[in-house]
Amino acid sequence: MTRAMTDAEIAVRPRLGFSSNVTQALFRLLAAALLCALLASLSDVFMTQSNILNVLRQTALLFLMASGLTLVILTAGLDLSVGANIGLSACLAASVIKATGSPSLGVATGIGCGTMVGLANGALVTALRIPSFIATYGMMWMLTGVTYFYMGGETIHGFPPAFRQLGSGYLLGIPMPVYVMVLFLAIGTFFAQRTVWGQQVYAIGANPVAARLSGVPVPSRLLLVYTLSGAMAGLASLIILARINSAQGDIGEDLTLPAIAAVLVGGTSLFGGSGTVAGTLIGAFILTLVLNGMNLLQINASWQPLVTGVIVLVAVSINARTRRTDE
Amino acid sequence: MKYLALGAGIALAASAATTALAANETIAVFTKNLTNPYFQAVRVGAEAAAKTLGVKVDQYVPTKPDSIPEQLSQVEDVIVKKPDAIVFIPVDYKALVPAVEKINAAGIPVTNITDRSASGDFVAFVGANDYAIALATGRALLKAMGGKGNVIILEGVKGSLTAADRSRGFADAIKEFPDVKLLASQPANFQRLPALQVMENLMQSFPTIDGVLAANDPMAIGAIEALDGANRKALVVGINGSKEAVELIKSGKLVASGDFNGFIQGCLGVEIAVRNLHKQATPKEVILKPVVIDKTNYTPYETPVEQRTCPTLAEVASQ
Repeated sequence: MTRAMTDAEIAVRPRLGFSSNVTQALFRLLAAALLCALLASLSDVFMTQSNILNVLRQTALLFLMASGLTLVILTAGLDLSVGANIGLSACLAASVIKATGSPSLGVATGIGCGTMVGLANGALVTALRIPSFIATYGMMWMLTGVTYFYMGGETIHGFPPAFRQLGSGYLLGIPMPVYVMVLFLAIGTFFAQRTVWGQQVYAIGANPVAARLSGVPVPSRLLLVYTLSGAMAGLASLIILARINSAQGDIGEDLTLPAIAAVLVGGTSLFGGSGTVAGTLIGAFILTLVLNGMNLLQINASWQPLVTGVIVLVAVSINARTRRTDE
Repeated sequence: MKYLALGAGIALAASAATTALAANETIAVFTKNLTNPYFQAVRVGAEAAAKTLGVKVDQYVPTKPDSIPEQLSQVEDVIVKKPDAIVFIPVDYKALVPAVEKINAAGIPVTNITDRSASGDFVAFVGANDYAIALATGRALLKAMGGKGNVIILEGVKGSLTAADRSRGFADAIKEFPDVKLLASQPANFQRLPALQVMENLMQSFPTIDGVLAANDPMAIGAIEALDGANRKALVVGINGSKEAVELIKSGKLVASGDFNGFIQGCLGVEIAVRNLHKQATPKEVILKPVVIDKTNYTPYETPVEQRTCPTLAEVASQ
């Protein structure tokens, strides 16, 4: 009896989740628009084309870090190793580019390293059944240690112009990272909303037992989302490298928590099963606007963490309220 | 591998050294992290001095950068091991005072370098003056700008003594030039990516930025990347005299970098510790003169720290 009910729930849950996700996304778009209107009224330069492109380029980086993480959080998991993974991937890619002069080998190294780390996270979570919080927390420390040892306090810098294009180049007047962002927004949204695998990711987050009973291959889907999160960290590491033109051991520090914040502000629930990749983009956009606005208005940017914290709490509590009324 | 090779080198030097020196004195050297090249230079300087003086150096570095609890527990571990002397950079000049008191209570002579501890009994303090370095580096930039134009300051981590002293030095340099206007002063946390993004944002507000005063080299380099990305030109200075900064000075992208000279601080810290052990006279305080590296004097800095030789106390004193 209960079995039949949970099956029915599985069938309904994703679609229900999707409609509520649309409302959620609209809420956040509205919030972002209000923030833009506020900044436009306070600063003459905010609405200029050049500043909008500037904000989008900065958003792109945060979005890429947070996009794979969104899938992990949709399964009610967490990936705390994103920043450390970026650090190791960036440092390895940097030394490969330096040694070979080949941007494509560097790109392969960065994405390859990120993906392998993600796969390892997935293996810890599925094969060894370590809770994701702990598995990726341990991974974070291991990666940080390996990166520090590998770099030995040194800096690698100066990459070929062809590689730098990835972070600082333009195509038709629009920064390259913005194209990468749009591409992965499309891929991520299609995967999550339009494929069976994507819907299974939502189902796992909503109710892992029910998902398993209704035939979702839970371990292999979990392995997939952690691997994707790692791959996106690898990709983000390349954009960072190309932007700042150097790598040092602490390059990934302080990146994990902003990425988690972007996911949460974007409306994805830490309890899994609800949220969207597009929401994460809006979350990343809102958080980027905060720093941009403070710099433009010359408010001391030391206040930024405090404002970010307030925004995260407000976003999450709005999220909790609207979902309760949905159900 | 590098450490192993260094270790082997020291062992060889020690065994070759005449027995006039007490055999195998051990100096424990504490630095803040494994990520900032500055502390790497301190460690290399300490090793170099140890090799010359025939003593052994043990390095203690928190695995989590600048971790107060980790350094506290490392100090406790080291007190148990009883090294002959300690050379100490507190990760926080106030929070580590209890650790210093424990070292004092254990009777191990300790020399303080780089960041002056708020209290405690030290053989000596060796350091550079952040304020004086920032003042001199700021002046170098403003002179290069012809004494006029618009500038911005990129500050370090808010609340850190180093960041505060450097910001103050920059601000005082700007006051000496009435035709220089300070447009904005924003923190970028001593890191490259935040500096890049803050600079990108500030360039939106200000169509003309002639100079950038960055409180360390990574932020200066982040600012240069932002300027390059926007096809804009401004003169930039940083602080630390890092290898990367020296290369950029050579190629003309960076005007100057104030030298905090970790290598010499590491050398002198160990030299003073050893002289004290041998009951030789030691100065109570050595403050290195601010040196600004620019295109006129960068050549000696191209030698990697690993290949530099330690100046002696007498040489530094005569500068």
